[in-house]
Amino acid sequence: MLDRLPYRVQIPLGLSVAVVIAALLVTAVAARISARSARQGTLATVERAVVLLAAQSRPLLLADDTWRVFTLLRDTAALLPGTQAGHTRAAILDTEGQVFAASDPSHLETGRLVLGDELHGRPLPKPARIASRVLLARSDEGVTLIEPIRSEDGQGQGFVFVDIDGVVFAPAWAALSQPALFGSLLAVIVLVPAGWWIGRRMTRPVASLARFIERIGREDPAVLHAEVPRMADPELGRIAGAVDRLIGEMHDRQRAEHRALSSERMAAVGRLTAAVAHEINNPLGGLLNAAQTLRLHGANERARTQTLSLIERGLKQIRTTVAALVPQLRIEDRPLEENDLADVVTLVLSVALRRGIDLRSHSEVVAPLRVPSTVMRQVMLNLLINAVKAAGDKGWVEAGLTADAHAVRFIVANSGERLDKEALESRVTAESGNDPDGFGLWVCRELATQFSGGFTVVQSDRAATELLFWIPNRERHEIAAVD
Amino acid sequence: MAALAAPWTTIANAQSERLRIGLTHVMLADQAAFLSHWAEYLSARLKTAVAFVARDDYQPLHDMLNSGQIDALWTCGYPYVRWQSQLRLLAVPVYQGAPTYQSYLIRSKGDSTIRGWSDVRGKVFAYSDPLSNSGWLVAQGQLAEAGIGPHDFKRTFFAHGHRNVAEAVAARLAQAGSIDGYVWETMRKQGMSAALQTEVVWKSRFHGFPPIVSVLGPSSLKLDQLQDTLLAMAQDKVGRELLRTLNLDGFIAGSPAVFDSIRQLARSVPASGVGP
Repeated sequence: MLDRLPYRVQIPLGLSVAVVIAALLVTAVAARISARSARQGTLATVERAVVLLAAQSRPLLLADDTWRVFTLLRDTAALLPGTQAGHTRAAILDTEGQVFAASDPSHLETGRLVLGDELHGRPLPKPARIASRVLLARSDEGVTLIEPIRSEDGQGQGFVFVDIDGVVFAPAWAALSQPALFGSLLAVIVLVPAGWWIGRRMTRPVASLARFIERIGREDPAVLHAEVPRMADPELGRIAGAVDRLIGEMHDRQRAEHRALSSERMAAVGRLTAAVAHEINNPLGGLLNAAQTLRLHGANERARTQTLSLIERGLKQIRTTVAALVPQLRIEDRPLEENDLADVVTLVLSVALRRGIDLRSHSEVVAPLRVPSTVMRQVMLNLLINAVKAAGDKGWVEAGLTADAHAVRFIVANSGERLDKEALESRVTAESGNDPDGFGLWVCRELATQFSGGFTVVQSDRAATELLFWIPNRERHEIAAVD
Repeated sequence: MAALAAPWTTIANAQSERLRIGLTHVMLADQAAFLSHWAEYLSARLKTAVAFVARDDYQPLHDMLNSGQIDALWTCGYPYVRWQSQLRLLAVPVYQGAPTYQSYLIRSKGDSTIRGWSDVRGKVFAYSDPLSNSGWLVAQGQLAEAGIGPHDFKRTFFAHGHRNVAEAVAARLAQAGSIDGYVWETMRKQGMSAALQTEVVWKSRFHGFPPIVSVLGPSSLKLDQLQDTLLAMAQDKVGRELLRTLNLDGFIAGSPAVFDSIRQLARSVPASGVGP
């Protein structure tokens, strides 16, 4: 959530959190140290008070003056931590270990046996076993201190007894944390506006850079290149430099794209011209042959009629082909007829005969043909011409047109060099790359794609190459998504 | 209390001889301001500087009186009867209309284990002063009657003053104590916690109130003037105010007969030092 906030909020917030965490950590460590020091300080105070009590009570014990020992304890105990709250008790014990007088007689009754008896569930040592100061640790972190009182010549006169509850040594967390909390509050009060101001100052160049980057892609790189913000900060300067280089590269790429587009347009025009030339040139050879036939056998009525009809269909094919290449021309196309295969074979036949190629064709149409004639004639003519070229001298070419309710298929096999699937793909790709020699294969693939059909190599043991072109057998073909 | 050891003086007449009066805390606490006012009052009327000298116990004061370090002493009835032949009775305070008072046996409030003198056996007991009638002599008589000897206690001690007896019992340093009834009542009247945290178990018969004495000797004008001034305190406003603070009605000349009951009691106590 924090990283969704703007920097001018994140920075003061982060500073404040850091200060609070640091204050808490410092307080915790200081509290530990303070607690340890406080314990040592408390023990030192108690030891000093014990020394004082031992010295002051010595003559009073000699005088057997209980009241003055009591007043001494009452006044001295006020110096001991925890006395006011009843957590510390001091007493002077006689040589038998009984209470001679206590600072709080209600807890340590006069005459009560202390040494050798149990205190807080633990036995205290007997008087005879106490030769020097004894410091006993209690289970609640408290201590019990016993100091022998001796005359100047070493005679035992009694004992100073101090019993301190553990709560006296407990750190005063509330008191310790108050300065830290106050300091943290002050720091937050100072740091929030300071952090907001610093954050705003720090993020101003970043925001400026961000606003500039947002313009990339929407504005002219040449204009942007001139307006790249100048950053004083080295890191931001590196970012600005990188943005500047990016804009420069974008500018260069845009210019390269323009050049490429222009070249591509020129290439497209070339491809279009080549396609027109190719598609017109294919039937043109047949038509010239037909004209030659008409010249030689024009006297024969039947031959003349057939030849003229052939010429007419060939010319219509050219016109339809041109119309397909130039979308502005809309010409009604007729459905394919079984005779169209014979027309195409006739157009190619003269070429095949010149090369000594055995050209055979057959058709098997079991359903009405609904596909446009121009497309199929163009495909059949292209594939047959390519096959004749590929079959080699004295070879053979076999064409077959089949149709059922679902599809119309045209299969061409030849005896030439084997063309496998990869080779066909390579040729088709090459066709798109301005290779006019095999332009027909590329046109076939494009038409198959446009008419939701297919154009592929068929595995065949009989023929070196066998190509299959098919499109769905329906009247209106939806143009597939072709750019 | 150490502060009380210093004399309070009023320089009324720098040329005249200073009058020094000794006292213990038989009366009230270390009320330095009160003693200063009383010294001023007396100085003004005696035309001489008056100073009070306070000690914790009677014995050192009597030593000072005998050695001439002080001129007069507010002592107790018991030392008066003990050394009556050497002392001149200057004045006897009047408390609640009579020159008498009582001794009390007190216990910590709510300590029902002590209902009388016989219950102090095996307990920690506080006396006031070995020369105090109410704080020692009366107790000795009662203990003897109860058949309790000095070794029948858990512990006994002297608290060096009646007020301290009350404080010792209130703090439970002692479980019971023998105290001057006038002091205890006055402490209670003034709301002192030591009196409020203790309660009276037994009251003695009435005895002569602690008197103001001097060494018996040739007639002394300043001591006569002191006596006259004390006896006349109830007759002027300032004197009455001082007496009110002392919780007293006034002073009378008194007579040794006022202390007959103490004399009689002392004679019954072997360690009293008063012969039959």
